[in-house]
Amino acid sequence: MIVKYKKDWFTHIIALSPKLLIAILIIPIMSGLASVLLPAFGWIPAINQTTLGLGGFDALLQTAGIGKMVELSITTGFISTLLAFIIMSLILARFFNSQWLQIIERLLSPILVIPHIVAAVAIGFLIAPSGIITRLLAPLMDWGLPPQGNLPNDPYGISIILGFTLKELPFLLLMALGILAQPELNKKVRGYYKVALSLGYYPITAFFKAVFPVLYPLLRLPILAVLAYASASVEIPMVLGPNTPSTLSVMIMQWFNDVDLSLRIKASAGALLQLGITGGLIGLWLLGEKIISLVFANLLSNGKRDYANKLLSKFITNLTIIILILLVLILCVLLLYSIAGYWQFPQIFPDEFTLFHYRSAIAQMNNSLFYTVFIALISTFIASIITLFSLEYEQLAQKPLSRWTHLIIYLPLLIPSIAFLFGIVWLQQLLGMPNTHSVSISNVIFVHILFVLPYVFLSIASSYRRLDKRFAQVALTLGATPATVFFKIKLPQLFAPILIGIALGLAISFSQYLPTLLIGGGRVNTITTDAVAMANGASKRLSSVYAMIQMILPLIGFTLAWILPKFFYKKHA
Amino acid sequence: MTSRNKLSVYQRRFAFCLLSLVIATASIFAKATQHVQTEQAEHQIQPRLETKQWSDIITKGKNQEVYFYAWAGDAQINQYIQWVADQVKAKYAIDLHHVKVSNTSDVVARVLAEKSANNHKRGSVDLVWINGDNFASMSKNGLLLKQWANTLPNFMLTDPQNNPAVHFDFSVPVNGMEAPWGLASLTFYYDSLAMDNPPYTLKELETWLSQHPGRFSYPKPPDYLGVSFLKYALVMLHSQGNTITKERALLNQPVTEQNAQQVLKPMWEFLDRIHPLLWRKGTYFPPSSVYMRRLIGDTELNLGFSFSAPEIPAAVDRYDLPKSIRSYAMQDGTLSNVHFVAIPYNTAHSEAAMLVANFLLSPAAQARKQKAKIWGDKTVLIQSMLNKEEQALFEEPTKHPSALPVGSIKRIISEPHPSWVDAINKGWITRYGSQQ
Repeated sequence: MIVKYKKDWFTHIIALSPKLLIAILIIPIMSGLASVLLPAFGWIPAINQTTLGLGGFDALLQTAGIGKMVELSITTGFISTLLAFIIMSLILARFFNSQWLQIIERLLSPILVIPHIVAAVAIGFLIAPSGIITRLLAPLMDWGLPPQGNLPNDPYGISIILGFTLKELPFLLLMALGILAQPELNKKVRGYYKVALSLGYYPITAFFKAVFPVLYPLLRLPILAVLAYASASVEIPMVLGPNTPSTLSVMIMQWFNDVDLSLRIKASAGALLQLGITGGLIGLWLLGEKIISLVFANLLSNGKRDYANKLLSKFITNLTIIILILLVLILCVLLLYSIAGYWQFPQIFPDEFTLFHYRSAIAQMNNSLFYTVFIALISTFIASIITLFSLEYEQLAQKPLSRWTHLIIYLPLLIPSIAFLFGIVWLQQLLGMPNTHSVSISNVIFVHILFVLPYVFLSIASSYRRLDKRFAQVALTLGATPATVFFKIKLPQLFAPILIGIALGLAISFSQYLPTLLIGGGRVNTITTDAVAMANGASKRLSSVYAMIQMILPLIGFTLAWILPKFFYKKHA
Repeated sequence: MTSRNKLSVYQRRFAFCLLSLVIATASIFAKATQHVQTEQAEHQIQPRLETKQWSDIITKGKNQEVYFYAWAGDAQINQYIQWVADQVKAKYAIDLHHVKVSNTSDVVARVLAEKSANNHKRGSVDLVWINGDNFASMSKNGLLLKQWANTLPNFMLTDPQNNPAVHFDFSVPVNGMEAPWGLASLTFYYDSLAMDNPPYTLKELETWLSQHPGRFSYPKPPDYLGVSFLKYALVMLHSQGNTITKERALLNQPVTEQNAQQVLKPMWEFLDRIHPLLWRKGTYFPPSSVYMRRLIGDTELNLGFSFSAPEIPAAVDRYDLPKSIRSYAMQDGTLSNVHFVAIPYNTAHSEAAMLVANFLLSPAAQARKQKAKIWGDKTVLIQSMLNKEEQALFEEPTKHPSALPVGSIKRIISEPHPSWVDAINKGWITRYGSQQ
């Protein structure tokens, strides 16, 4: 049923908002990419370099260890994504029909909101020669001093792979569960699954043959986002990676920050190379997908019911337990270090406990805490408004946003941020933006919107689209304006999912490192930039306090998102 | 009707939330624009420093903002700077913002970029903590305000007539471009529970390494402390007793391409010998000096060194190092230098920055900084220039067992010319920067 409505100021704003959404995402990213091109080919007027040439690429190729950097970026990015994807599929397959799935989901979801830097720091505490794992083993092995191992920061990038896999697994799993929770899809795949089971397929086989082929195409973009992130981000490789040399992304950042400004040409060339690497990996993944679907297509219909199901399900159960234990250990280690006095190797618990570290952290973080929350609130607020208006457009116009729009929403997650952020910084300087604190902060807020928007959109969109349209239609036929319907009917019904979306947006903004550092010119301090500055620093204890606070902040957001709707409903039900 | 009431309550609450957020946003932006306007007004006056009296500086410096770019890898130092911020706020109503820097060379790059972009009057850096090659580089590129530090009232307390240390920074003349802030010496420390006899000379260190493989390392150059260790080794390798060799004399002059190879050769040979005996067999180096300290706290390393002796007992008090840590100075020579604060030429708040620099040099601030519990950085003030009450500020009741014993430093070696740092860094990166 199509209900006609009058055009007014509200519908005009709504009609504009999808365009605004696209503009807000595409303009900074594209202009950032464009402005990294010129310096890459040697054009930086500020240092009297105005002849275009391939000097930057020559310098890049002649850099000692460039092959190793590229290799590390490719291997760590690809292997960790593949591992996270495989483990996610196995866990889903094993527990698809069990209550354990929900429990695993609940246990893993805190990891989703933990910033990458916290995960990296904690994993370092876990696997170092003096880490908690060797301490647990020390009595068996008779270690008085820590053993001499290669972890973390091993030359092969194993620590990086471990970090990314543990961090991205919950993301993929929660994305998959979110997709499977869509009512129509859920009904469809549950039906297929039941049929497969009743035809005698073992549960894991039934999942892979009946559910997986439906799920995978919908999961493709999140997977590619993980692949792009893992191949180009800096936090985890910086803390867990080798330094002779590090991954390409970390080295690009070092070149950009070097005293020698002419290195910026090389860094820009490196940013383009990074873009190529990430693009190549995405291409490789899509190619692999094609090959696998060609080679294994007949497996789907060969009728075989059992592929060592018993063994496999035992293996997956154990793997899941190990991962959960690792995650619990991570939380314990951070908590213990944050209140630890001296903690001699190989003791499993600190010699004494103290709140000293919390006191000294809180004494020095007041400004950072304020800016963290302030930037997150404003950027999430703006992102939520744009999201809600764009989703409302879908319903008023009675047509879904184009595929193209969906791809654009994923753009900030697919394009290595290190590439376009440097372009934006350069653009800032070119435009002669005033160098005041308030300008820096507004710029940081603006860039945070780029990264917050996709998550807020993905989080709110499914509930918005699921909303029963009949309420709106009835109200419209009774003569309500679209604005009234939006504010009086839709928003109150969507109160809970909107709050969840906002909490997610806040969490994403809290965790942003590179955008805050680069766009703020190092002058905007947040808890996360402080935590990264401290991650390779002196005090494991202070680092842990920051990590705890970085976990508590998003937790407060999600708790509020969970409690507030109850409070409203309870009081007025 | 209940359902209608329900909706309107939600709606009102939602509208209220929305409204308050909008008001918050609007007020912030209003404040931001106001901020921009006042700052523009300030830029119109660009005073000449030479002719000004100190009282003028106080009047003009009051109520301003100072962006202090300072290395922030140490919690204690950050807290001390926070204390300074509180003090100058109370004294001069100056808003001191500590911009936390992980590498001072980033600041050099920033000011240089501003100069290239013709930003000569409203630079982002008002005050920077600096010395050595970063100072040499800023000085060479004309990025610093000149002849102000020697006009500070408290500068007299460093006894400038008889104290060359405040006039030369790594043998580069200071010319009033930076005010001294603290004195650092390369101090070694070890865990007394793990060993009785630490190595006291570079030669002993090599022997010790072969007995304790994997328990020593140095921060990866270009880290300041890592390069300092290499400089110590370099000077020692060119020293035979008290005679000054030809190569060692070359270290006090700018490096040239010919002498670099010849002078650095023994150091590369030394590193080739010891790297297989280092932590992780020299394939991975601690990324920073504080990271190295953390490894000692974890007992992965048993011997460490620092450029700030009081940092060591302070770390023990903060539980980052065990109580059994003891500090000492190498007997064959101790590398020492002064660190400074400088004002970039394009600051908009030079008077306020000078007030802060002068406060940093005050006996109260210097005495507090020297306290092991606060920071433990040695003062640059000369005791004989202070009155009785001021001297009393520096007394510390009890000596910390982990602190460097008084009189440990036997022979001071001065820093080589800063150009050597670059030569060492470049050579190190080509030799060991990529080795897997």
